Amino acid sequence: MLLRSGYFLKRALRNMRQSPVLSLASVGTVAVALALLAFFAITVLNVQQLTASWGESLAIVAYLDDVPDEKIVNGWIKDIEGYPEVATVTFVSRKVAFERFAKRLGDDAGLVEGLGPDVLPASLEISLADDWRSELALTAVVERLRKDHRFEDLQYGQGWLEKLEAFLLLLRVSGSALGGFLVFAALVIVANTIKLTLYVRQDQLEAMAMVGGTSLFIKLPYLVEGALQGLLGGVVALGLSFMVFQVILQRSLGSLLLITGIDTIHYLPPVWQGMLVVGGGLIGLLGSLFALRKFVRFGSS
Amino acid sequence: MIQLFNVCKAYQRDQNALNDVTLKVEKGEFVYLTGASGAGKSTLLKLLYCAERPTRGQILVNGRNITRFGAARIPYLRRNLGIIFQDFKLLKRRTVFENVAFPLEVQGRKRFEISKKVYQTLKGVGLEHRLNHHPLQLSGGEQQRVAVARALVVDPLILLADEPTGNLDPEVTLDIMELFKSANARGTTIIMATHDRSLIRQFPRRIISLEAGTLAMDDLPLFRGAADMAGQV
Repeated sequence: MLLRSGYFLKRALRNMRQSPVLSLASVGTVAVALALLAFFAITVLNVQQLTASWGESLAIVAYLDDVPDEKIVNGWIKDIEGYPEVATVTFVSRKVAFERFAKRLGDDAGLVEGLGPDVLPASLEISLADDWRSELALTAVVERLRKDHRFEDLQYGQGWLEKLEAFLLLLRVSGSALGGFLVFAALVIVANTIKLTLYVRQDQLEAMAMVGGTSLFIKLPYLVEGALQGLLGGVVALGLSFMVFQVILQRSLGSLLLITGIDTIHYLPPVWQGMLVVGGGLIGLLGSLFALRKFVRFGSS
Repeated sequence: MIQLFNVCKAYQRDQNALNDVTLKVEKGEFVYLTGASGAGKSTLLKLLYCAERPTRGQILVNGRNITRFGAARIPYLRRNLGIIFQDFKLLKRRTVFENVAFPLEVQGRKRFEISKKVYQTLKGVGLEHRLNHHPLQLSGGEQQRVAVARALVVDPLILLADEPTGNLDPEVTLDIMELFKSANARGTTIIMATHDRSLIRQFPRRIISLEAGTLAMDDLPLFRGAADMAGQV
């Protein structure tokens, strides 16, 4: 059978040439469904990266009412850096805090004119290590700091983190659901389109069965045809999504998205691109398989 | 070669298309299957190439009980059969050559062997000059000759023909019958369904006659009157 793969490929290509409109319909269906999926994947990917970068800025701030001398502060920093969840601890003096505040005010910096750094407290900024950026780890560190009576005024984005995690979960769940629905819809449409081509070629299938074609011999060219159409659809989807990425995301919306904190918008990584094309092939193959179930029969019982 | 034992076929309950048919066809025989429309001729042929299964009874073809054949074995049975239909059932988008080559492709024969065999067979039916034409470019008679060539190209043990001359004019009918005769002379067993009395008179052979699904007559027409009798049933 392997030696005859060229024969089946030739027959599949011939079938496609003989029904160009139906072939285009199959390719188009897979392409549109996968392009939508790719577009959604690009969105999820970039939102995930954005939220990950937000997560990086996640920190616990321990405000210090009285600033002890440098030696003591360094001792505290050393203590906190000893926690496994903690990546870095930075001391922000009253002066640095005041300068940051004035800088953030921008044109309104005049509002703090006449005031001194004493109006703001000094603090320790504690950032979590990559592997510990979760609500659970954050709470654990905060509790440990509270027990240590040196730090009582603690500020951390607990509620924000909960929301962020819920949002990411929602994004993943809705992405999977939408992706599953799109793939299923593409599968059904491809199966029906291929069924149409089979109706057109019913005489051919009948003749094949009459001269002794086995089920596999009759089905294989149609399976190859479905897989080829799916692969082609995958490639077109890749092209379409890249075009949308270039024209809409990068050029038109690029500056708008920069405001939200995204510095670069990413396209699908190469592995995802490969998966998209291979996924198209699989959709085509499965679609053909479903369509062929009822068509190749050798007689009633 | 072919044996039927008490074969019944019902498409609907209490309505038998074939009713308790028992018969035997020897290797190398030429048999006409006659009867009015709806008598069960096509059903009997369909049972022989497993397009239908009997409701009751057994069918032996070449010593094998085909009623027990699963779907996977049917293609291999059909590779030893040549099947011809009244409406030719040619692949319209393929050339004459490709249509005749198709059964050999199915069997996985080598390309060189296919070309040689197809050319020889088309020459045998007088269509070697039409091998690059498509079926719709041919007359009805020529299309049926292509169908005959497609059936004969595999050197079948048995040729099953369902009203093969039903759509053809008398002259072309004679051509087709000559092709059948020469295939039969080479040892192919032929079962031909027809209700053309004049054809049976011209080429007298064994007649199996069906009437409302029942075997009404099985006889060798030793005299021309038998053909007329067959036509009356």
